[in-house]
Amino acid sequence: MTRQLAPHPNAKPKRPPGHPAKVPRRRWTARSRRDFLVFLAMALPNLVLIAVFTYRPLFSNMYYSTLDWTLGSPTATVVGFSNYVTFFTSNDAPKVLGTTAVFTVVTVGGSMVLGLLVALALNAKVRGTTFARSAVFAPYVLSGVGVGLVWLFIFDPGYGVLAWLLRGLGQQSPQWINDPQLSLVMVILVYVWKNLGYCAVVYLAGLQSLPQDVMEAASLDGANGFRRFVSISLPLLSPTTFFLLITTMLSSLQAFDLIRIMTPLGTGTSTLIYEAYLQAFGAYNRAGYSAAISVVLFAILLVITVLQLRFVERKVHYS
Amino acid sequence: MTLHLDRRHFLGLAGATAAAAALAACGGPSTSGGGQATSQAADIDFSGVKPAAKIDFWSSHPGQSQDVEKSLIEKFQAKNPGIAVNLVTAGANYEEIAQKFQTAQAAKSGLPGVVVLSDVWWFRYYTNGSIIPVDSLTKQLNMKMDDFQQSLVNDYKYDGKQWALPYGRSTPLFYYNKDHFAAAGIPDRAPKTWQEFGEWAPKLKASSGAQYAYIYPALAGYAGWTLQNMLWGWGGGWSNQWDITCDSAESVAALQWAQDSIYKDKWAGVSSKEAADDFSAGLTSTTISSTGSLLGILKSAKFNVGVGFLPGGPKAQSNVCPTGGAGLGIPSGITKEEQLAAGMFLDFVTQPESTAEFSAATGYMPIRKSADMTAVLAKTPQIKTAMDQLAVTKVQDNARVFLPGADQEMAKAAAKILTQQGDVKSTMTDLKSTLQGIYDRDVKPKLKS
Repeated sequence: MTRQLAPHPNAKPKRPPGHPAKVPRRRWTARSRRDFLVFLAMALPNLVLIAVFTYRPLFSNMYYSTLDWTLGSPTATVVGFSNYVTFFTSNDAPKVLGTTAVFTVVTVGGSMVLGLLVALALNAKVRGTTFARSAVFAPYVLSGVGVGLVWLFIFDPGYGVLAWLLRGLGQQSPQWINDPQLSLVMVILVYVWKNLGYCAVVYLAGLQSLPQDVMEAASLDGANGFRRFVSISLPLLSPTTFFLLITTMLSSLQAFDLIRIMTPLGTGTSTLIYEAYLQAFGAYNRAGYSAAISVVLFAILLVITVLQLRFVERKVHYS
Repeated sequence: MTLHLDRRHFLGLAGATAAAAALAACGGPSTSGGGQATSQAADIDFSGVKPAAKIDFWSSHPGQSQDVEKSLIEKFQAKNPGIAVNLVTAGANYEEIAQKFQTAQAAKSGLPGVVVLSDVWWFRYYTNGSIIPVDSLTKQLNMKMDDFQQSLVNDYKYDGKQWALPYGRSTPLFYYNKDHFAAAGIPDRAPKTWQEFGEWAPKLKASSGAQYAYIYPALAGYAGWTLQNMLWGWGGGWSNQWDITCDSAESVAALQWAQDSIYKDKWAGVSSKEAADDFSAGLTSTTISSTGSLLGILKSAKFNVGVGFLPGGPKAQSNVCPTGGAGLGIPSGITKEEQLAAGMFLDFVTQPESTAEFSAATGYMPIRKSADMTAVLAKTPQIKTAMDQLAVTKVQDNARVFLPGADQEMAKAAAKILTQQGDVKSTMTDLKSTLQGIYDRDVKPKLKS
């Protein structure tokens, strides 16, 4: 965010030849002062809230990550970077980072690809699309806890709906809940189901704002539907894709409720954020260690966002 | 003045805020340098202290006990009109209530007068200095400690002090479908050993139509607790005192037998959520579950339910049943007045009449020897089995109850063996290494020498 003050936009600094350029001193005009006060009045309450409830815990958490601290204990010992060393040298790190990567890549990719396909279907001018749009978007606004409980019943290999259907086909239900690998598949499936509506609606808005004259011109030139989609729609949707890539990735890296409800032990589904929860608030009570894992997640989120802004956005066509 | 907040900066800010929010989840304790604290064993003098007018009672309502807890509170308040007890649902299970209690400890506010604490949590509260010894309260209130079931009250003793009192105490029970047993021509009783059950199981599975002859309790539901039965039966265990023995030949043999029952003999399965529900639904002919599940099973099962002692193994046929369940503790971070009121409430809910009422409503064991269980047993005679089994229980392995996170690690190891057919020996070797690490790091430094 930049703040430009006072001088007229076209004003040029006047200086004699041979003299080094001086940065013109910004002067507050009555208007700029008034604008700044308005800005403060609007933004300050929010900035204070963010400072107190987001950035203060953030820096506190960074401090806790340097402590050997058992949750609930009134005292702790400063151990420097020991918690980070423990995490990266233990068996936990590859497992947790691997699970996080698989969960994030598959849920982001799945939600976006399926969301785009659903958006294409919903963009068709046929009866019932209004209802279909609502139906597709509904899971996104449902409580993750409720969704998790319902799907847990569906997946239950003993008396779940899916097991009942499979038995009808003469098949045994896979051990969705007990098998760590299948647990991850189960949680990913439900997460994608819950979130693809969000991608679909955002893509739908993007599709409906595409310039029709370009499409018509391409049709006249003989481009078929697939060609128009690949060569025109997809590139023009790149701002939408870029926006979704960042927002869905951030939300996948922070996914918690479904994992907590469907796999309380985190066996096979322990992503960074869930591992941080388990270590502090689960049975381990290792609050300092958990804080270190949170800081690792923080660093990953920042790096991913910066990389996306630096490199991915270059491929984006805004018009 | 112009503010430029373009799409790029907006997304950048969104990323930074999301990352910050990920860190903001942790509560705000006040910490400082120095060693970890443990509860002070010094007696607290309550002479001259007046009980507080109001305390909170944090419960997870073990055994669906919310109604009977309300009833006990009403009776307590009628007897002590100056003390109001506010029942708070502080979690759906022992872990959730522990999470809330630990967080309140860190925040140093909102602590209850009395808190439900399970067998695996009270010691951690002790090592964190979160609870007080109740000895001075039991003396001042003239509580008859010798009338308590000694094996249950002794579970909360450490460093010469009593750190909690028993409340919803249980043991695992062997539940069986009498109709399935009759159809298979099997004696109407629990098996004496797992080997005997191994002979019955194929007949049961063939004749019952149930998916399994036996279902192992859900791994997320305290696998470490119930599996002690098999480990002890084979002469093994999770640990012997502080010596981790989960990789001993006996322990490995026990878990190998369990794995074979699923993958080789194919008559057993593993519950996904709650073995008691699977049993009630007819999915399995037998299971092991807490005595706290007894009334729920009797209510929901549409067949004749039999209960019995846990089976033994090739090395031990008796004393192969662990105790479990919850006790009640008093936080150290509240006023003496609140602690005294909490002690009076503890005294009331552990009275023989109260424990009999609690037992009748839940199936948990009466914690007082003098509790009159005649009416309860007339209505639910199966509770007698749980009471009788108390005489042949064994103190749980230190590794399971005193090591933070050990239950989770045991459940993960059990999952590898029982649901992924992992190699038993190497899984147990890995588990030993993990448990040893927890002991060396989190427990050993805090133990009284």
